[in-house]
Amino acid sequence: MSGTSRVGTGSRSIVQEIVLVTAGLLFAVPLVASASFGFTLPEQGFSLEPMRDAVADSGFAPQVLQSLTLALLTIVASFALLIPTLVWLHLRARRWLPLAEALSVIPFVVPAVALVNGANLAFRVTVPGFLTSVYSLVPFYVILTLPLVYRALDAGLRAIDLRTLCTASASLGSGPVRTFFSIILPNLRPALLTAALLSFTMVLGEYVLATLLLHSTFPVFLVQIGQDRPRAAAGLSLITIVGTWLVLSALTGRGLSRRRTSLPYSPDLRTAS
Amino acid sequence: MSQASDLLVRGAARATEAMSRPAGGAFAGGASGGQRPLLARLPGRDALGLLPYFAFIGVFLLLPIVANVWTSLHDNSGAWSLESMLKLGEQQYLSAFLNTMALSAGTAVLGGALGLLVAWALATLQRPRWLRSIMLSYSVVASQLGGIPLAFAFIAAIGSQGLITIAVFDATGWDLTEAFAVSSFWGLVVVYLYFQVPLMAILVLPAIMGIRREWGESALSLGAGRWRYLTDILLPILSPAIGGAVLLLFANSFSAYATAYALSGGGANLVPILIGFFISGNVLTDQSFGAALATGMMFVITLAMVLRHLLVRRTTRWLQ
Repeated sequence: MSGTSRVGTGSRSIVQEIVLVTAGLLFAVPLVASASFGFTLPEQGFSLEPMRDAVADSGFAPQVLQSLTLALLTIVASFALLIPTLVWLHLRARRWLPLAEALSVIPFVVPAVALVNGANLAFRVTVPGFLTSVYSLVPFYVILTLPLVYRALDAGLRAIDLRTLCTASASLGSGPVRTFFSIILPNLRPALLTAALLSFTMVLGEYVLATLLLHSTFPVFLVQIGQDRPRAAAGLSLITIVGTWLVLSALTGRGLSRRRTSLPYSPDLRTAS
Repeated sequence: MSQASDLLVRGAARATEAMSRPAGGAFAGGASGGQRPLLARLPGRDALGLLPYFAFIGVFLLLPIVANVWTSLHDNSGAWSLESMLKLGEQQYLSAFLNTMALSAGTAVLGGALGLLVAWALATLQRPRWLRSIMLSYSVVASQLGGIPLAFAFIAAIGSQGLITIAVFDATGWDLTEAFAVSSFWGLVVVYLYFQVPLMAILVLPAIMGIRREWGESALSLGAGRWRYLTDILLPILSPAIGGAVLLLFANSFSAYATAYALSGGGANLVPILIGFFISGNVLTDQSFGAALATGMMFVITLAMVLRHLLVRRTTRWLQ
């Protein structure tokens, strides 16, 4: 335990235990509450009735499917845009790296509402059909996840010896395209997985753009159903939170088993608010 | 693992064959463009592979930003005008800005203090390993929560029919929501703290883990007490990291829309909610002023992030 170092800690961790246990209990309160609220009915006890109700709603299946489709398209689009760009940057255009990285963090200072407003102003009049298609969300989701995906892929590329791999591959007679698909991509797998899971959870939870551009996705459905069926909304929320948890803890679990101190992705880029 | 990567390689090889002909596509261009002699002779060929990236960011990020700023500096007939920006100073809108800032600053400072405590506990806890790893994973996940599901979870807990509200009412006969509604300012503070505290914890954890035992030992051997060590050594070293993290928490809650919207049904006097009204046309359709609000928001967040950048640059000097 070289990292934990304060004077005189020794065996006295009681205060720390109290702090962590209290924090854990407080964090559990809304989850327990939504579990008991969403999966019970008054005077009936445990019941799946509220959930059955929600799932039977005509909006449920199409809107969940819509969100899943958008998430997959976003991952495909941002990989198609960013992997070749980053490989190019690292191999042939290193002096452009700072500019490309600076551009990639701009979405962080542009709140989602401001992005929607700007998108409305820029595209509503000039390209009228664009924003009315639900797939117009994809490029904006690529933008919203850009800081995250860029960093994950960049870190992945920095972790492998790209130049040597490419030279070795070329000396064995492989063309650049083959090198890209059979050498670079397989080596990037952990980074790709991180980036994909993060943008997946982000897109599944994204509400602002979808609702303000008048598209129906899962979070929009959740709000609609929450207006007259709060129990169903609480149950679905709990399922969403637990699902997000499972996906993200797959990441932290992986990261923790390798290096205890550092997190697998940069935590300063929140996505869900 | 090897099997899966084998599959990937084989699949990739097949895709390679399919793609080797139209090599000029944007996808293959990144890796293969430099090989072509014609391109090699162009002066700015390095930047050429970056064109798709720059173009994408230009169209879907920079263009909306510019449209925002441009519109906020023009009146609705299209002439240059500062009217919309000046209107931000009017009582009603100024109060929305101040309210948003109070909410953000409040949750940033409170969340910062509590998150620091959690981070300290995480960094120094010795004995039950499981407690540490559970809470660390919990922090990572909770810091990413937010939005609609979190709002409904809190409504289930402390909303008007919430579990805790009813439990308190049954026990004491006192209606919790009278004093403390989820849609009120302090209700929002509590909900925001749910993600702010763990976010702070994981943001400052690396800095706290970077503290070396030797610093404490040398301070003690030079005669400093624990308090002196804390104020003269630890705080100066950690303060840029702490300040930077708090600024990030500020920006984080300043731009939050979904959580506040779901909790208050749009009733909260916050800038993002206000912009939402302008976009959905629930109030007078004053494009220019809606854009001015968005520009004001971006300005505040940019300010916080620039400050943070300057602070974080200082942190890295000591905590490598």
